Amino acid sequence: MADKNYYTIDPEGKLTCLKCRCKLQKGKAKFLYLDNGFPVELPVCPQCGFVYVPEELALGKVLAVEKALEDK
Amino acid sequence: MKIEERASTHVYRQRQMFTKEELEARERLCVHEQPAYCNAACPLKLDAKAMTAAIAAGDFDRALALYERITPFPHLLAEGCEAPCEQSCKLWALGEGISIRALERAALTWGTKSRGKSFLRKKPTAVGIFGGDLLTLFLAGELVKKRYSVHIYCSQPDAQALVEACVPEASPSAKAATAKALADMDAEFSWNADPVLAYSREERQLKAASFAVAQALFPDLAVEEVLMVSRPHNLITGKTRGVLDAAFGAKKAALSIDRMAQKLDPANTRGEEGAVETRLYTSLEGIAPSERIPVSDKASAMAEAKRCIQCHCEECIRGCAYLQHYQKFPRILTREIYNNVSIIMGDHMMNKPINACALCGQCGVLCPNGYDMGEVCRIARENMVFTGKMPLAPHEFALMDMLFSNQEAFLARPQPGFNRCRYVFFPGCQAAAIAPATVRAAYLDLCTRLPGGVALMLGCCGAICHWAGRYELHSQTKAFLKEALAQLGDPIIIAGCPTCKKELADLPGVTVLGVWEILERLGLPQTRRPDPRPVALHDACGARGDGETQASIRRIAQALGCQVADTPYSGDQAPCCGYGGLTQYTNREVARKMTDKCLERSDLPYLSYCMACRDRFAREGRESMHLLELVYGTSADHCPDISAKRYNRLGLKQQLLKELWKEDTQTVDLGFTIAYTPEAEALMDDRMILKSDVIQVFEHLRQTGEAICDGETGLYITRARQGNVTFWVKYRETDAGYQVISAYSHRMKVVNRQ
Ligand SMILES: [Zn+2]
Repeated sequence: MADKNYYTIDPEGKLTCLKCRCKLQKGKAKFLYLDNGFPVELPVCPQCGFVYVPEELALGKVLAVEKALEDK
Repeated sequence: MKIEERASTHVYRQRQMFTKEELEARERLCVHEQPAYCNAACPLKLDAKAMTAAIAAGDFDRALALYERITPFPHLLAEGCEAPCEQSCKLWALGEGISIRALERAALTWGTKSRGKSFLRKKPTAVGIFGGDLLTLFLAGELVKKRYSVHIYCSQPDAQALVEACVPEASPSAKAATAKALADMDAEFSWNADPVLAYSREERQLKAASFAVAQALFPDLAVEEVLMVSRPHNLITGKTRGVLDAAFGAKKAALSIDRMAQKLDPANTRGEEGAVETRLYTSLEGIAPSERIPVSDKASAMAEAKRCIQCHCEECIRGCAYLQHYQKFPRILTREIYNNVSIIMGDHMMNKPINACALCGQCGVLCPNGYDMGEVCRIARENMVFTGKMPLAPHEFALMDMLFSNQEAFLARPQPGFNRCRYVFFPGCQAAAIAPATVRAAYLDLCTRLPGGVALMLGCCGAICHWAGRYELHSQTKAFLKEALAQLGDPIIIAGCPTCKKELADLPGVTVLGVWEILERLGLPQTRRPDPRPVALHDACGARGDGETQASIRRIAQALGCQVADTPYSGDQAPCCGYGGLTQYTNREVARKMTDKCLERSDLPYLSYCMACRDRFAREGRESMHLLELVYGTSADHCPDISAKRYNRLGLKQQLLKELWKEDTQTVDLGFTIAYTPEAEALMDDRMILKSDVIQVFEHLRQTGEAICDGETGLYITRARQGNVTFWVKYRETDAGYQVISAYSHRMKVVNRQ
């Protein structure tokens, strides 16, 4: 997951934070698992910091990296 | 009781799974790679099995290459060999053994010799051979193959005469072929020589490094037959009996020359020579007796070769979907698992196979030497848990499910009206999860008909953590159950499930009976629903080695009118349904193959006595019944999903508390409703997401208000972290709450780093 650009953020303004009533933006986030960390860019609420992990990402790349780490 | 994720992929403890000796002792049990009987019997190490296979496939060239590998003069050997290989053929037990000699001759007749040149460089070491007999003839051939500089001194005028002198009894065609092979050899010949004279001259001048002499030249020399060496001069010679013995003697002599050429004692470190003992096991089950087919052309040679059963042992793999999936025999698999557990850093490629075994013990029964791969995998799992290398992900759902059974859904009560009970009914977690109505009926029946009171204990026997290799949790679970039993006055346990019976029997000082034994004693209840149909009876892997249980089940089935059909792999040989060892959770593909393996034995409806088997067979679309359903005329739920399996356990506990112990359970009102689309329900079952997980996500939402809206789909999306997992839910709002459209999860933690 060294590659930060594995997830392309969807067209601007598609996702809204319900709490803050503002659009999610491309932001810096980090995945952590079994004492390993991976910097990533994901849709983030600029106000409350809610980080969105889309379904296809969770079931695709995230799952694959989880499995690889589990067998380290 | 807590279940913890491994802390890190960088830090772990170390412990060996077995000592080297234990590993080797286990590996020795697997005879899969032992030589076939024919191969083992040949002192020249002919791969007769491979040669026969080549001929069966019509590949006479390959057969010839295999045959020529063992001797420089195949024509002599094919004719004169006593063929111990033929005598040891396994087929003699049924009919006639393979005519290996006829196949050797077929290879010589119809095979084409490859034109390949030897890649070995010619050795500078010279060997002098004096006088012609069978031993020196074969030795010359062996040494030329090894690229020694060979010089032959003999009294005969040419190759033909030399062959004639060595093997007068051979056929003219074999003699001619051998003479040609001899003349074509890359060796020097001194024809019409006096070998004794030549020897004394050569020996004085010490031109050759080694000397071999025909036995007739110096008939009184004492020879070490293992080496074909006469001490102290290290002269190669010896008396041989027949073609095979001479060919073998030449091999021994050639090896002695190799050793002496390196200035080493010929007696040391020679490796394995000659015929060997084989420990191979080969089943003749299903093989028809047959007679030898006279070989007269290619077709008849192929037909004769096709009678060969290519002896090998695959008793375990034939019965086991797991071994078939990984295409590995226990010896190799054990070695790879051992190495996997020993490596420190890097990828652990065998974690998946370690966690995919059903630990069911079938291989241990099928193997002629009792090789139990399940035991190896279970030890490996415990080792990985100890060293901190076992990931939690493959087993977490099952372990949490066990905690649910032994906490929220746990129940231990004496029968109403009794303080102490003579018995306690322990139906097992899967029975309560899949067939709560059956469990209820069985308990009420036992309470009515058994004297002395029957307590009830709803919970998990500990098999789950035992299978997961979580040895600490396992001993905690045993202690917990022991304590719960003590509070009931240590009654006799009536297990509803053979795996529970086995697990609970491990508790100190308990008596465990199967519910089937009690039912036989009491007679079947009025509620029984006779089913006078042919059924395939599937024995539970939990009842392996428990012949009394297997017999009892059959008697009850018979009393119910069932016509139990015989299936292959029944009784102690039964395969696992795919639930055992937690395969269902760790590797769905293998688990499914296990279920298919069970179901391929018969097209009939399946009757089982383990609720997990019953459920897995039904999921594969087979009509499936648990014995207790017939006994009590009740029906199990049809393929309940993971949430329903929890709901059933909790619901049964609450129902019985109310009905028998007059206790109402406080139900917590969420204050909102959650509806699920059918797609969401199916998807959650597949992704192992429980409705209780979704409830917690919504409770978190209501506390924090954290959610987003996807403008494209109009769906709301929220999430909550629970334990080691983040659950995401896509939903719509409804008047009273929410409608779930989709749910997914990941184990990685995600944090903001703005
Ligand atoms: Zn926000």
